[in-house]
Amino acid sequence: MLEYQIFFDYFPMILLGFWLTLKIVVCAIALGIPLGLILALGRRSNFILISFFATSFIELFRNTPFIIQVFLFYYVLPFYGLRLSAEYVGILALAAFGSAYFAEIIRAGIDAIPKGQLESARAIGMTDWQSMKNIILPQTVSIVLPPLTNQTLTLIKESAILSTITVHELTMTGLMVQGETFRPFEVFIMVALLYWALNETIASIMRRIEKRYSRNRKQNKIVRSNIDIIKSSGFSR
Amino acid sequence: MKFDISYIFDALPRLLEGALITLQVAILGFCFSIILATLITIAKTSFNSRIFNGFIAFYISFIRGTPLLVQIFLIYYVLPVFGLNLAPFPAGILAITLNSAAFVIEILRGGLASVPKGQFEAAKSLGISGYALWWKIILPQTFITSIPPLVNEFTMVLKATALLSVITVVELMRVSQQIYSANYHPVEVLSATFIIYFLMCFVVSRSSVFLEQRFKVKRA
Repeated sequence: MLEYQIFFDYFPMILLGFWLTLKIVVCAIALGIPLGLILALGRRSNFILISFFATSFIELFRNTPFIIQVFLFYYVLPFYGLRLSAEYVGILALAAFGSAYFAEIIRAGIDAIPKGQLESARAIGMTDWQSMKNIILPQTVSIVLPPLTNQTLTLIKESAILSTITVHELTMTGLMVQGETFRPFEVFIMVALLYWALNETIASIMRRIEKRYSRNRKQNKIVRSNIDIIKSSGFSR
Repeated sequence: MKFDISYIFDALPRLLEGALITLQVAILGFCFSIILATLITIAKTSFNSRIFNGFIAFYISFIRGTPLLVQIFLIYYVLPVFGLNLAPFPAGILAITLNSAAFVIEILRGGLASVPKGQFEAAKSLGISGYALWWKIILPQTFITSIPPLVNEFTMVLKATALLSVITVVELMRVSQQIYSANYHPVEVLSATFIIYFLMCFVVSRSSVFLEQRFKVKRA
């Protein structure tokens, strides 16, 4: 029933796809978190134009399927004269998609910090940006870490969709091997197991880090229920 | 090339037809997943068997740890190997159901945890068990507290249906692909599709507040 030979023959090729998936996700996160931070601060901005733009970006990207965002990027960028390879389009799309979610997580993290923190920072003469950078954001790190991890896992899974614009990542490689061997079961099980292993590894590492953080956090006076709310809102596919 | 809005108007009737199919798939898949998840939740609490719970935990971990796209391929390409040939539409609904059920089980677990233990004990002391216990006492309370995450899950399902276009289910995404591969204006057609998806998901996600309000009144 199972052809074990396929596992051995095609594993190196599958692994190559896995490597590209990793690279794409890392790049997308590296782009997405700063962009998410900008969007989160933009949404809180007092300039209506900026906050409107940030809010609509976030809502548009959170309320549409990723696959259509990918296709839009794939066709719209060349439409305006920007020709990129599928990999770069994929990274951009994934970063844009991720940044909308990152922004909401960071915003919730900032909201969880007691108002007095910002007010006291302003009272001792810090500028808005200084108090954000030195007082508020460092405190949000431990709060946003669990939902950020969740979102990272989501990005890994969503990166499979990049196969539809011919990025040769894990799923695409699986499809190609399937076309060569006509053994979908072996191939897709292999692909699924790799995704699963990656996700479980990251999840277990982060669980350990989280445990250490939460021990320190008990000394902080952050309202417990706020943290629970944020944790539950990071729940996603 | 210029952005030509007339292509959007031309495509709109067919896109809206596709949107109806998308809604149909999402609602069917979501209903099935709620039924499946409810049954599993009841079985989990009443049997309390270690093997069954372990199996469900394994299932949830697998579904949450792998991309939906791969799950769709697994169902669409692998079931025929075992002699079960499904057309794209039922295969798609099956994939959505199995995927969403894992998330709904987790949601219901949270909802069930918020039902006080005393409810079970009171029912027991009144001699209520089985069907009446779940259907009349526990499940209503579970579902009412689970409304916000369930609505969130429904928008997830709505977005997930777009992936079924890769196994040729003719829903909104697939229709838009058919249109722009015929008229070579992907930007206009995809923009229109993007906005239709946005409107659907946005309306659904905002309905959470409305639903909560409604059921709160009923409960009082």
